[in-house]
Amino acid sequence: MKFYVCIKQVPDVDAPIQIKEGNLIQDTDRMVLNAYDASAVEEALVLTEEHGGEVEVVLVGPEKAKETIRKALAMGADKATHITTDNDVDYDSAVYAKVLATFFEDKEYDVISCGKQSQDTDAGLAGSMLAQHLDLPYATNAVGLSMEEDKLVVKRQGDAGQEIIGLPQPCLVTCSNDMNEPRIPSLKGIMQSKRKPMETIALSDMNLDEAALSAKTKVTGYMEKPEREPGQKFEGEPDELAQKVATLLDEEENVI
Amino acid sequence: MSTLLTHIAVSDGKIKRASLEVLSRMTQLAEANGHSSEAVIIDANASDHVDEVQKYGASKIYTIEDAIFKNHQNTPLLKALSKVMDEADPFVFGFGSTESTKDILGALAANTDAAVLSDVSEFELTDNGIEVTRPVMAAKILSDNKATGDNILVSVRSGSYDLNESPTEAEVVDIDFSFDESELKATLREIIGASGDKIDLTEAETIVAAGRGAKDDEGQELIEELASVLNAALGASRALTEAGIMDPSLQIGQTGKVVSPQLYIAVGISGAIQHVAGMANSKVIVAINKDPDAPIFDIADYGIVGDLYKVLPPFIEELKKIKS
Ligand SMILES: Cc1cc2nc3c(=O)[nH]c(=O)nc-3n(C[C@H](O)[C@H](O)[C@H](O)COP(=O)(O)OP(=O)(O)OC[C@H]3O[C@@H](n4cnc5c(N)ncnc54)[C@H](O)[C@@H]3O)c2cc1C
Ligand SMILES: Cc1cc2nc3c(=O)[nH]c(=O)nc-3n(C[C@H](O)[C@H](O)[C@H](O)COP(=O)(O)OP(=O)(O)OC[C@H]3O[C@@H](n4cnc5c(N)ncnc54)[C@H](O)[C@@H]3O)c2cc1C
Repeated sequence: MKFYVCIKQVPDVDAPIQIKEGNLIQDTDRMVLNAYDASAVEEALVLTEEHGGEVEVVLVGPEKAKETIRKALAMGADKATHITTDNDVDYDSAVYAKVLATFFEDKEYDVISCGKQSQDTDAGLAGSMLAQHLDLPYATNAVGLSMEEDKLVVKRQGDAGQEIIGLPQPCLVTCSNDMNEPRIPSLKGIMQSKRKPMETIALSDMNLDEAALSAKTKVTGYMEKPEREPGQKFEGEPDELAQKVATLLDEEENVI
Repeated sequence: MSTLLTHIAVSDGKIKRASLEVLSRMTQLAEANGHSSEAVIIDANASDHVDEVQKYGASKIYTIEDAIFKNHQNTPLLKALSKVMDEADPFVFGFGSTESTKDILGALAANTDAAVLSDVSEFELTDNGIEVTRPVMAAKILSDNKATGDNILVSVRSGSYDLNESPTEAEVVDIDFSFDESELKATLREIIGASGDKIDLTEAETIVAAGRGAKDDEGQELIEELASVLNAALGASRALTEAGIMDPSLQIGQTGKVVSPQLYIAVGISGAIQHVAGMANSKVIVAINKDPDAPIFDIADYGIVGDLYKVLPPFIEELKKIKS
């Protein structure tokens, strides 16, 4: 079984961020593997450990993103392809999906998995775009995966219940981090990752036309989110606190 | 004059409020800019919902009715949406950002070569497109984005706009649609744990949300009692959905749902940014936590520092008194 997992490098959302003249400035330059993609890698590893097969990760991004690819290899992925871009491209989900679709055109695979969204942008678009370009049956927001002969069985978190969906292979799935707890690479894994095959393809060598690479959407600026006004904090006897806050909610806020 | 089209999502026989919020906004933009606000209902019983949709100012309502839409499945929904885009040629096509929308939005954009911006909290029209604001970086930051093109798709976070009635007499256009089930490659086998008649979190006026601090049986009983006294929907942090203590559909936050109730009571929740990302737009936030430095207190209007097992029983009693 051949699994491809599309992974993305994202800025660490827990690191302090400032905005200067509409640009995002991170105090640290820390970049991490998108948490949802880490879950996708984990699940592919679990399924191939159980049923046999190979996991390859694909990333579109600048040179610096190699460290994120290494992380996935250290977790246990067998090989990687890095499609390299310049540092300061302003591509949107649609462009990345086009690039990935072009990459997959001549590939053979049983399952392509993506994160359900990117942790920095929360866009959640690239996966189903890619499925559409490749004309693959797909499911999004998977919280569980299992294999059944030639089918991938997806447990999808819908608006209310969880949908059990059978996908004939080849297919595409986007993964939630509710699916598993991604493994932390072991020292051995980290050592081995350095010897695993990583193919590098320059985006400029992929023969994509101008139209495919020009984004229809643009980020025009960033702003701090307006902070909520700090409220009141009560400490003391539980009975008194309970009574005080209940009364305030009723009389001041009128929300009871 | 261009068309501003809104997708009306129906689930369990009920229109999702998020769709009507988008329609309210579209109608307002249409009036201000000389465009026409239209809507499309795709459901097994689409025509049943026309009256309700008319209240929010749609001048034309497309209906696509087929039994296949009884439950959400992406292939038929995509086919129907592509068809209505052909028919209506919308300048902007708006969606409430539900899980069903997230399932198809990227695919629909790829299908129709439309520009798309997802999960926005505000949007405006420009001459050749739209400008939006989207929360990014786990909703710590807002980004301004713009999209240009003839057909633009936008999905809007629930609670971003108020409902605004402006009744019209709409022209109803039924679009002919058929779907052969053999076209379905992906098969929906069953749906487990559907909420049935429970209150939809994204539409709830009051939410009682529990975190790791309330993970044992006694904690669970207390939050259930609190929710029942307030007629509130139950929500959860990831700590509890991950541990299998509360239903996964109750998760609030970046991975879970975005909510905007009048009253949000966070019990034993620390206030990690990924949780706050889903509830910071609540009108009044109450936090009960034994750690005075818990980050949830930074955003709470009323913070109660204390052990929830000691605070909740008298709190519930007080609320019962107020209610009676
Ligand atoms: C704060 C912030 C900082 C940013 N910094 C950068 C930056 O330094 N460099 C930059 O290029 N863009 C940057 N962007 C832009 C943004 O990351 C791109 O628009 C993004 O790469 C497109 O994907 P998405 O986030 O829309 O993906 P989504 O649609 O949310 O992604 C879903 C899934 O698609 C797959 N996928 C998406 N993109 C890729 C990819 N490139 N390679 C492989 N798989 C992928 C993954 O499986 C991912 O989980 C930044 C955005 C923000 C908000
Ligand atoms: C990509 C990503 C997405 C995520 N998405 C989500 C999401 O959608 N929703 C979400 O919730 N999380 C999400 N998380 C996880 C998030 O970062 C936190 O781990 C999670 O919210 C913690 O849950 P908690 O507050 O219940 O637990 P904890 O952080 O462990 O907090 C428990 C709190 O309970 C208090 N407490 C304990 N006992 C008592 C008592 N007796 N009385 C009163 N207070 C008590 C403690 O002081 C503490 O503050 C995400 C994380 C990532 C990386």
